[in-house]
Amino acid sequence: MATYDFLFDKTGLRDWCDADAVASPMSMSQLLSQVGNDDGTSGNTLPFPSLDTLHEACAAIPQTRDVTAGVEDGFLAIKDSLKFVLDPLTQPLSWMLDGALYAFTAAPWWVVIPLLIWVTWLSTKKRGITVFVAAVFLFFGVIDHLEVALQTLSIIMVCTSLSVLLGVPIGILMSRSDRLQRVMLPILDMLQTLPSFVYLIPLIFLFSVTEPKLYGIAIILYAIVPIIRLTDLGIRLVDKDVIEAATAFGMTDRQKLLGVQIPLALPNIMAGVNQTIMMSLAMVVIASLVSAPGLGVLVLRGIRNLELGVGLVAGFGIVLLAVVLDRCSKAALQRVDPTNKSR
Amino acid sequence: MTSSKIQIKNLYKIFGTNPESVLPLVREQGLGKPELLAGHAHVLGLQNINIDMQAGEITVIMGLSGSGKSTLIRHLNRLIEPTAGEIMLDGQDVMTMNSDQVRRLRQKSMSMVFQNFALLPHRSVLQNAATAPIIRGIDTAEAEKTARTWLDRVGLAGVENHHPWQLSGGMQQRVGIARALSADSDVLLMDEAFSALDPLIRTDMQDLLLTLQTELQKTIVFITHDLDEALKLADHLVILKDGAVVQQDSPQKVVMNPADPYIEEFVGDINRARVLRAGTIATSGTPEGHMVGEVDANDTLETVIALAAGRTTACVTVVDNGKTVGKIEMRDLLSALVPYKSNNQS
Repeated sequence: MATYDFLFDKTGLRDWCDADAVASPMSMSQLLSQVGNDDGTSGNTLPFPSLDTLHEACAAIPQTRDVTAGVEDGFLAIKDSLKFVLDPLTQPLSWMLDGALYAFTAAPWWVVIPLLIWVTWLSTKKRGITVFVAAVFLFFGVIDHLEVALQTLSIIMVCTSLSVLLGVPIGILMSRSDRLQRVMLPILDMLQTLPSFVYLIPLIFLFSVTEPKLYGIAIILYAIVPIIRLTDLGIRLVDKDVIEAATAFGMTDRQKLLGVQIPLALPNIMAGVNQTIMMSLAMVVIASLVSAPGLGVLVLRGIRNLELGVGLVAGFGIVLLAVVLDRCSKAALQRVDPTNKSR
Repeated sequence: MTSSKIQIKNLYKIFGTNPESVLPLVREQGLGKPELLAGHAHVLGLQNINIDMQAGEITVIMGLSGSGKSTLIRHLNRLIEPTAGEIMLDGQDVMTMNSDQVRRLRQKSMSMVFQNFALLPHRSVLQNAATAPIIRGIDTAEAEKTARTWLDRVGLAGVENHHPWQLSGGMQQRVGIARALSADSDVLLMDEAFSALDPLIRTDMQDLLLTLQTELQKTIVFITHDLDEALKLADHLVILKDGAVVQQDSPQKVVMNPADPYIEEFVGDINRARVLRAGTIATSGTPEGHMVGEVDANDTLETVIALAAGRTTACVTVVDNGKTVGKIEMRDLLSALVPYKSNNQS
């Protein structure tokens, strides 16, 4: 007999329990206890009244595995309608990722590398960083990792620019409405704390694994958080006296936003861009689990096949890429800082 | 009939969750600031303010911190909304304006100078000074021409392309003044404009303001906590305490006849010889002492003392616009130099 039989006998719920009792498949723990000749109630221990334990006493109570099955069924039920909406909406993301991947890998190395060096010089105007970037990409070329590194880079570029494009307006809206901020902050907290693998699970069901938007969405969801947060923070931190002066001289909200708030929040916004780049780099490695090309694939191969050298070299490549992106974005940040006194 | 540029009538400001609910208590039962805070958890910012500000004059509103002076000046261009009352600018009620009208008012009729300068740190000095015309939509070249003129006038020619952080505090506030002047508004609101500056620079800026004012004849509302500054600049002096007007009059009259002990205490510390003017203490009658010369009614008592050169029996004639208006005996001058309070005791 089960431990909690008395509960249902005493409260007169026995009839309800047995009413539609159907012999359900045995759970693993039941099976194990049978094998071990243990009826589960021996001894004077009082098992925690979990769903499984209560199910033994009353068949009408669902087992724990029904909960996870319920979540799954629920998701599958809305999957089609969700897909119907999201599929066309996110299709451009697939095109952009495909396009960027194609452009970077199809172009010959003697176009891509000088182009990257030139862009670095334009955005940073720092000789040291430009030389470093040139050295890094030549190194990738020498060890035959140029193509995968460029794949990773192109995914990051697409995802980061989309994150900024979406994140900055959201951040601006948040900074103007305390209510929106109260709604958004828990969502951002959740996006930031959710283990990065968990993003992939529902996405795999929604889209086919061969579609680039699958990992594109995962990366953007993960990387958009800092740009939203820092845009919101940056605008809220703009000197109240300056805003008051702008109001006192009769600026419209639009003039205030474009002429005062955004320029003065720019250092914080750029710090957000830097964080967003770093986070998409972190995610693009994990996204190789769902067919994102690039250095992550090699890391994954290192783990799967215990190819130590392949994994470590690819990992080192990711570090180099991270340093390049970090230095470039920080140097660019310094140049746009309107109050930067060292200019 | 009146040339009042700005009239403030029965203005009340109460801070709190529901100011309207406690307004009658203040208005009809005369509840004070401490009682309102203790009994109703509302802060009385301003109570029953009535001030007439004449066109072309400097009205100085003086009070210690927490007296509500910064709150009051922000009502004039509606950076703060009042709980009750009217503010008339050229006979038009500022309080009934919609947001578009208020914005036009801020762009054209009232410009403001701030204690902490509040310049735009990412714009050059020239761009800062051109703020007002640019906001109004005047094209950049013309706006910058106006700005350049005013920067010259405040003595900042040559630093147009610097950024505010490259300038000293005094220079930054000159930019602030140029910015306010290039709006070409009749009314200038100055919120503790010189309080953040060093004493010497502050004196310079006061002189600059007075020089500009003799020429421009703007209606200036000046906030300060410094009595010397107030007496130097004011045509009309309003003294604020706990959100209420304690006395308003010409500065000479405030010094000679303080309305209550609070103001007596204030005026006790000042250099009366430098503040009081000959016209204020001139008396009629036949001169008794040894006549040593004549002074203008607007000259300070320091001038009279210098003229007397230490002779206690001396006497001077006071002249206003070429007409003799009275005389000053040295003994009257000496008693005027002692604050009101001790005057009564003797």
